[in-house]
Amino acid sequence: MRARSEAEGAGGRVGLLSLVIVCFVMSAFPSGCSNNPYPPTREGEKVLYSSFVDAPRTLDPARAYNTRAHAITGAVYDTLLKYHFLKRPLELIPGLAVSLPEKTELPDGRVRYRFELRRDLLFADDACFGLDRPGQRTREVVAADIAFQLARIADAEVGSPVIEPFSNIDGFQEFSRALTARREADPGFAARPVHEQYAELGGIPGVRTPSSHVLDVILHRPYPQIRYWFAMEFSTPVPWEAVEYYDGRGGRPRFDDHPVGTGPYVLSEYSKRSRYVLERSKNWYGVRHPEWKAPAATYPSEGEEEDRLAGRLDYAGRTLPFIDRVEVRREKESIPRFNKFLQGYYDASGIIKESFDKVVQEDALSPEMKARGIALEKAVSPDVFYIGFNFDDPVVGRAGGERSRKLRQAMSRVIDVEEFTRVFNNGRGVPAQSPIPPGIYGYDPDYENPARRVDLERAKQLMVEAGYPGGIDPETGEALRLTFDSADTSSAGLTKVQFYVSAWKRLGIDVRVEATNYNQFLEKLRNGAHQVFESGWVADYPDPENFLFLLWSQMGKSKFGGPNATNFSNARFDELFVSMKTRENGPRRMAEIREMLRILEHERPWIELFHREEYSLYHGWVRNVKPMGISMPTYQYRDLDPVLRAQRRREWNEPIVWPAWVLLGAAVLVVLPGIRTYLKERQ
Amino acid sequence: MGAYVLRRLSYGIGVVFGVLFLLFILFFTVTKPDDIARRALGEKAPPEVIEQWKINHGYDRPLWPWQDWDDNLLFDHYERMLTFDFGLSDADDSPITERIASGVGPSLSLTVPLLVLGILVAIPLSLLVAFFRETYIDRMGVFLCVLAMSVSMLLYIIGAQFLIGKVLRWYPISGFDSNLLMLPRFLALPLIVGVLSGVGGDVRFYRTVFLEESSRDFVRTARAKGASEARIMTRHVLRNAMIPILTNVVLAIPFLFTGALLLEAFFGIPGLGSITVDAIAANDFSTLRTMVFIGSLLFILGQIATDLSYGLVDPRVRFE
Amino acid sequence: MMDLEPHVISNLVTGALLVGIALIARSVRRQRLWREAATQLWRRRRIAILVVGVYLAIGLLDSIAWKGGVPEDVVDVLPNAPLTLIDRAFLGSREASYSAPFADVEFYGGDPLRNPGSHPLGTDILGRDVLYLSLKGARVALLIGGLTSLIAIPLALFFGVGAGYFGGRFDDGVFFLISTLASMPGLLLLIALIMAMGRGTVSVCVALGVTSWVGFCRLSRAETLKLRELDYVAAARALGVTEIRIVLRHILPNLAHLIVITFVLMFSGLVLSEVVLSWLGIGVDGSWGQMIDSARNELSREPIIWWNIAAAGTALFGLVLAVNSVGDAIRDVLDPRTLKEAP
Repeated sequence: MRARSEAEGAGGRVGLLSLVIVCFVMSAFPSGCSNNPYPPTREGEKVLYSSFVDAPRTLDPARAYNTRAHAITGAVYDTLLKYHFLKRPLELIPGLAVSLPEKTELPDGRVRYRFELRRDLLFADDACFGLDRPGQRTREVVAADIAFQLARIADAEVGSPVIEPFSNIDGFQEFSRALTARREADPGFAARPVHEQYAELGGIPGVRTPSSHVLDVILHRPYPQIRYWFAMEFSTPVPWEAVEYYDGRGGRPRFDDHPVGTGPYVLSEYSKRSRYVLERSKNWYGVRHPEWKAPAATYPSEGEEEDRLAGRLDYAGRTLPFIDRVEVRREKESIPRFNKFLQGYYDASGIIKESFDKVVQEDALSPEMKARGIALEKAVSPDVFYIGFNFDDPVVGRAGGERSRKLRQAMSRVIDVEEFTRVFNNGRGVPAQSPIPPGIYGYDPDYENPARRVDLERAKQLMVEAGYPGGIDPETGEALRLTFDSADTSSAGLTKVQFYVSAWKRLGIDVRVEATNYNQFLEKLRNGAHQVFESGWVADYPDPENFLFLLWSQMGKSKFGGPNATNFSNARFDELFVSMKTRENGPRRMAEIREMLRILEHERPWIELFHREEYSLYHGWVRNVKPMGISMPTYQYRDLDPVLRAQRRREWNEPIVWPAWVLLGAAVLVVLPGIRTYLKERQ
Repeated sequence: MGAYVLRRLSYGIGVVFGVLFLLFILFFTVTKPDDIARRALGEKAPPEVIEQWKINHGYDRPLWPWQDWDDNLLFDHYERMLTFDFGLSDADDSPITERIASGVGPSLSLTVPLLVLGILVAIPLSLLVAFFRETYIDRMGVFLCVLAMSVSMLLYIIGAQFLIGKVLRWYPISGFDSNLLMLPRFLALPLIVGVLSGVGGDVRFYRTVFLEESSRDFVRTARAKGASEARIMTRHVLRNAMIPILTNVVLAIPFLFTGALLLEAFFGIPGLGSITVDAIAANDFSTLRTMVFIGSLLFILGQIATDLSYGLVDPRVRFE
Repeated sequence: MMDLEPHVISNLVTGALLVGIALIARSVRRQRLWREAATQLWRRRRIAILVVGVYLAIGLLDSIAWKGGVPEDVVDVLPNAPLTLIDRAFLGSREASYSAPFADVEFYGGDPLRNPGSHPLGTDILGRDVLYLSLKGARVALLIGGLTSLIAIPLALFFGVGAGYFGGRFDDGVFFLISTLASMPGLLLLIALIMAMGRGTVSVCVALGVTSWVGFCRLSRAETLKLRELDYVAAARALGVTEIRIVLRHILPNLAHLIVITFVLMFSGLVLSEVVLSWLGIGVDGSWGQMIDSARNELSREPIIWWNIAAAGTALFGLVLAVNSVGDAIRDVLDPRTLKEAP
């Protein structure tokens, strides 16, 4: 009986109690609120706040091959060569190397590049160095560490995506095959640590270390672009200890998630799903040896005129880096990311198209943004977006001969890229006339591709010549039906594709969109199950070879698995490409490039769309922002004023509280009669 | 009683096996290991790299027992799932168990307050509505509920981020921090949205429960004895409605662990819900099937627990 | 057999639907019980029923299509393409990009419009009339709700009634299948199915159907179990009436009210689920979900572009609210006891 009455009492109290709690919670919300997403930092500490969309799949410098990964690996791993921070077009400067490599043409036609590594370089402190000698936290960087990394690229088990360019190194392929064969034949060998395996096979024949600080790279054929590959993290020194130690077992992370490098920053926290933190490395040579005044560890004193105007030369000659810590938080949606930038919680940002008109007016910052002290940086990035035709397809491809060519030419003449960029990119982006973007050798600002001039009448006439008058396919009596494969299933992505679809509709062509996710899209390309598609390419390094190879038949997707998804093959184009590829810049090369572009005008494997133009914003408290174009972080050059930032954040984020009180009042008004009735009845 | 428990448990195990079989059909035969490998490695991957990847992930074996009794994917799938050895993610090779473990905390820190707050808001409101039944308050309340239920969750989220986050600047628009001092301000917005979008359905459900209870004989008796209406509602009706309410709550508990898909994804909470959304975007089939399995397992356990506790309370259940 | 073009099929189905509705209306009028229920329903939810009717009418208008009859100067139409009544009403309404409701000029840049002042809900980023898109969405929503129900309800009835009526092994099997499916988190199962089958209206409907038949199957099984024991069923069996006949004549008619209620209640849930699927990028083309998803970022534009999301959101909200409130009333009218709302 007792229990029962207690329960009854409890039942009565729950109702009132919960009311009280709800009222309490509601009133507590507005008073305790703040939209500052960060815990307080130490006084005077310089922390840069940034964001990422998705964590990269791997941070292994032999495999990481996208901007997301480079945002980390570029700060953590240093390279033999670097790019000059301010000079454009991009210029190579020595990084870990004492100077640019010395090139020697060997008598047998091979080419040798000799790099001299700086002395007294240390890896970042890490537990893995205890493998060699217990308690040891770091060790000196030697040329063998780079040789080890190059051997890893050749190792099929690592799965590096850049085997092709490094195959120019003498004996690279042979080493790779020998390694795989030996592993299959000898399980005992396969079970040994990889660095011992590489050593046992004698390493790559074309990579030699005559002394502990000299690295010779011997190419079996000329390939001048190889220097650029030594400015990318693929060729960074990697300690064998790290690869050995970080195997994902016994609670240790995998090497994919735990970089150990030589760069200005170390990755001190890495939770892929929420945030990562880069902290300045005390072992970086710029920090340990400021007296060297090393080119890549000192703020440059040369730049362009606009750099002087933007105050980017104020830091000339000072030792890098300036920022102590970079905190990068995950931000999947673009709008919240941008709003947080406006609230002062991110230091720099791109402009989302939705806010463009608020931010940019008449090609300059809007007064509202200027008043907030925000600055704008513009840069055309070395990339190209295009619509491609699959040449293996019977309707749009080579089997259709002249008919298909006319069809492609007609379709090329109705895509109005200027209108597209106006509608979707706020007019940002340079309409592409050829695969080669501005800033890359071979780009000609005066060149105008006749096949890219919008001309509906001419296009309609071409349709007639192609045998599709008014878009009618004589075989079916209906509109010609084509399939457009898109890698973007988002509604926004589909809307963009509709732009092309309705342009082709004017020719009477019925284009159906097949949207799949990116990976399935890639699979379709591989299987040749595509007809018309959209794609893009971002430069790995500033050379036209890196763009024109997208149409080289040896890079054909269906035959060779290369990035030429159009499967375009043209004997003359190939011939010119092979010749242009190894040639140094000069009139001969330019003439060859010109002729290649003329072939493309006529053949139309691509409808060139645009080269992106990136606008980045940064707050007044951030110094020294300059986009590099290629994917490479420049944290070590930046600086910021934390005091100004804290003040601005306070000013900009005063919460507006009165609606909460109005809401609360309304709630009370609604609930009050109920409570009154309750009390009345109770008496 | 013992026999009943045994029977219920063995049935539960049967259902777990059924769920696993369905997962196998979906994630091994409809989507083949070769497809999964290519999606994970990208198109440039040469065949030997794909083979190596399949070996690393244990996908390199025949599918069915009749192809190879000792070494096949079907048995392996059962063995791994049932021993909670979920292996590596198809998308980025990281261990799934670790990832899920990292997501449980953030998920629970959102879903538990959401459940509690939801009840604390819904029950008083439904009591209020039931108390004023058949009056304009009731009708308006029910209409508001239907109204609240008819708005898409997506619109709630968009609205709250825009209004409360951007215009009024009360809370961060999105984000997460496990620091206890920071946590509340990140949870405020998703909680408001979660409660708002769920309250309509809940109030309607509880209202029906209360009305049903209040038409029972003992309530009529109490009323005849002259007890006040408010007293009847809180003492008799609420107390007797506790069982359906609790059942409802117990059945919701497994879903606490699977997280709130939309809320987590939009507000950047690194919980199990956003792990799932990420897995969808990344074609991470192994993580996806693990999440489905864990969700199902928890649900089955919850049901068994509910059934058994009914069995304890009400002996008749046993003979059903 | 003649090879029918899609639009001819669509016309035929629409005609069949209209005939079906007429037949149902007639049989409702014939039976006292249903007639009274219908009258009561009409009295209670006049507005909501009218709203649903309007949506249905729009959907039907958008389902009747024929070829030809397009003026020469219209460029945005494929040659020889079938156009529906709705399409024809908005021929040539395309602009270059955004314009506000009833505006005379483009929203950005201020270029004059081709059809000034003729877009009551403005135009979207591609210059399509938003009213047109919203109206087109009605058919998609009805298709999602209708097609899925057409898949789910017969499936549920077949298994539910079969299991309830025949019992034994079949019942055990069905019950096991139900328990298995019911214990898998709905949304995850849905996603898994769509990812396996690929995008598209049909696969989304099939996946929604597979994940939503379980509840009704369980219900119809339980009801059949009860009905089976009733005197008149026993009497029919004693008279030697075949089992199939008993199910068709005596069991199914007694489940009719449950079918109606489930159909209506399921409908709004399905339309709302599609919005989430659209957000995940696996929705149906032309749905309000896609409109909302592609328009949600536009709220951040300055000046704000609200008409897209407002139109799609309101259209969706209107249909779901109307169906929900009709559903509520139907439940109250037809069956005050057996069905309790799912939480």
